[in-house]
Amino acid sequence: MSEPTNRREFLVTMGIAAGCAGLVAQGAASLRSLVPNVSYDAPTTVKLGPPGEFPDGLKYLPEQRLFVFREGNTYHAISATCTHLGCTVRAEALSQPQSVSVGGKPMRVTHRFLCPCHGSKYEGDGTNVAGPAPKPLAWYHLEIAPDDGQLVVDLAREVGHDFRLTTA
Amino acid sequence: MKILPRKTDAAPEAPNVHQTPLWSFRPRSDRESGDAVVSNFLLHWFPAKALKPSMNWSYSFWLGTASAALFLLLILSGLPLMFLYVPSVERAYASIKDVEYVITFGSWLRSIHRLSAHLMVVAVVLHLARVFLTGAYKNGTGRGQRREWNWLLGVVMLLATLFLSFTGYLLPWDQLAFWAVTVGTNIAASIPWVGPSIRELLIGGRVIEQPTLIRFYALHVFVLPGLLGALFVYHMWRIRKDGGLAGADREALLAARAEVEPTPTKTYTLLGVARGTAPTIRATTLEAPHRTVNAVPDLIRRAAIVSIGCIALLSMLAVMLRSPLEEAANPMITPNPAKAPWYFLWLQEIVTDTTLHIGSFTINGAFIGGVILPGILVTLLAFWPWLDRSPAGATGVWFPAERRTQNAVFLVLLVLVLLLTVVGTFLRGPYWDFYWPWQAWPAIPGRI
Repeated sequence: MSEPTNRREFLVTMGIAAGCAGLVAQGAASLRSLVPNVSYDAPTTVKLGPPGEFPDGLKYLPEQRLFVFREGNTYHAISATCTHLGCTVRAEALSQPQSVSVGGKPMRVTHRFLCPCHGSKYEGDGTNVAGPAPKPLAWYHLEIAPDDGQLVVDLAREVGHDFRLTTA
Repeated sequence: MKILPRKTDAAPEAPNVHQTPLWSFRPRSDRESGDAVVSNFLLHWFPAKALKPSMNWSYSFWLGTASAALFLLLILSGLPLMFLYVPSVERAYASIKDVEYVITFGSWLRSIHRLSAHLMVVAVVLHLARVFLTGAYKNGTGRGQRREWNWLLGVVMLLATLFLSFTGYLLPWDQLAFWAVTVGTNIAASIPWVGPSIRELLIGGRVIEQPTLIRFYALHVFVLPGLLGALFVYHMWRIRKDGGLAGADREALLAARAEVEPTPTKTYTLLGVARGTAPTIRATTLEAPHRTVNAVPDLIRRAAIVSIGCIALLSMLAVMLRSPLEEAANPMITPNPAKAPWYFLWLQEIVTDTTLHIGSFTINGAFIGGVILPGILVTLLAFWPWLDRSPAGATGVWFPAERRTQNAVFLVLLVLVLLLTVVGTFLRGPYWDFYWPWQAWPAIPGRI
């Protein structure tokens, strides 16, 4: 048990503590102002145009950093953002298109993806095969807009490798 | 009621005390020399007398002075750039392009700023290496020394220097800037749980946009230089409190053993005597005329040679070397290869090689190579003085036998970092593939 404090010491201690608490609170408030409350990001659901205008094979959409693949009347979309540190991967055409099974469904693979920043390599379905990438490229959900029939991507909704959008 | 004696304007009647309104760079006596240090604001942080060993070119190489001179030059060249640069994503690139191609002497100013930044990184790292290899963070013979704290300050200053460079090369808002910040802030985001929030705080949102630029601008022109300036002053003050350079400590240790007649040395004012850093007898011995020189002009002459030399060197280099400006920032296309500035390339190498796969569990190399490994390195560096158990005799001397192992480990790590830097700079081509310098890079279309 320490010495009993007198009133003066107690008040001095309380005063210092209140001053410190005030400083901490004001500092925290100033820092909090730097944490954004509103995000003015681009919307995550984007209309990409009529599906019929997409070429057979791969089309790169730089605004969305997205590869859209068309194979007849089936579509799927793969992110171009490297899963390692966020650089934009580039598509490199294969010398021979390969027919493989992706997600239990057949797929014609025409490209592979390479990252210019740290050399990650991905197969045509986005599977990471070499370099520092920790996981496959993201696949995004595609649908047909009910109002004007455009192809719509939802960049906030990742899907599995078995996802295909089939148009009528 | 007591009546105080009236003050008079007359000079005090004391023998041999002169009130000198002016001071001289070329003092005719020891007293005039001491008066300069006492009466001049800029000179007051120097001691009145400096020990000869601490003036030695080949002991310290004056790397700290060179770092400070480059920092001064960065402030001086940064000021006009601040009047010309517009921190807005729409106009930043164009304003730098104007500085480079339109404004008279603009490209020279920008080159001075950029080259000084590069050389400051070099000077600060070499300074750190010098202090480590001479064990100068260790306390020697003086009382009340806290050299380990000054080392810690120095490590923080190195980090501030690197962060100043990082925030600086974002500002032109070109491709280098954009992708360096993309990668840099994604490294922060790779920290488990808190990472994404840290990234959001750094870039002011979820994408690199105007809030990012203004944040980095404020950090670059105000917060970090202010921090570095304050730490610099503290760093200098600690050197004085610790009794000068560690090399001079050693001199004190040796001098204490010798029997020396105490000599009258008090030819300068009391302010010139560091309080409590050395016992009186030792101070007397140390301050013997053959062991010391007057700070004015001997110390300030060398400081001036180093500082003015740095300024002259940079001024000429900046005439010959233009600063590159890449294409305007384009979030859609990553340059191939996308390389960080040379002093971060060893980190770019490490984050490339450290992704771990343990069974189905994967740890991103961004976290291991970008956060864990540099974190361990910096922590070890910062707290090394408390781990170094070598004797006080191994202080302030190059490559002492007692510190052979730790100096060797330090040098191996330093060489490793340099090797990775060389690999990243010269041996990495498109898609970060390995190429020897004599191998041609394959032609790859610039766009997809």
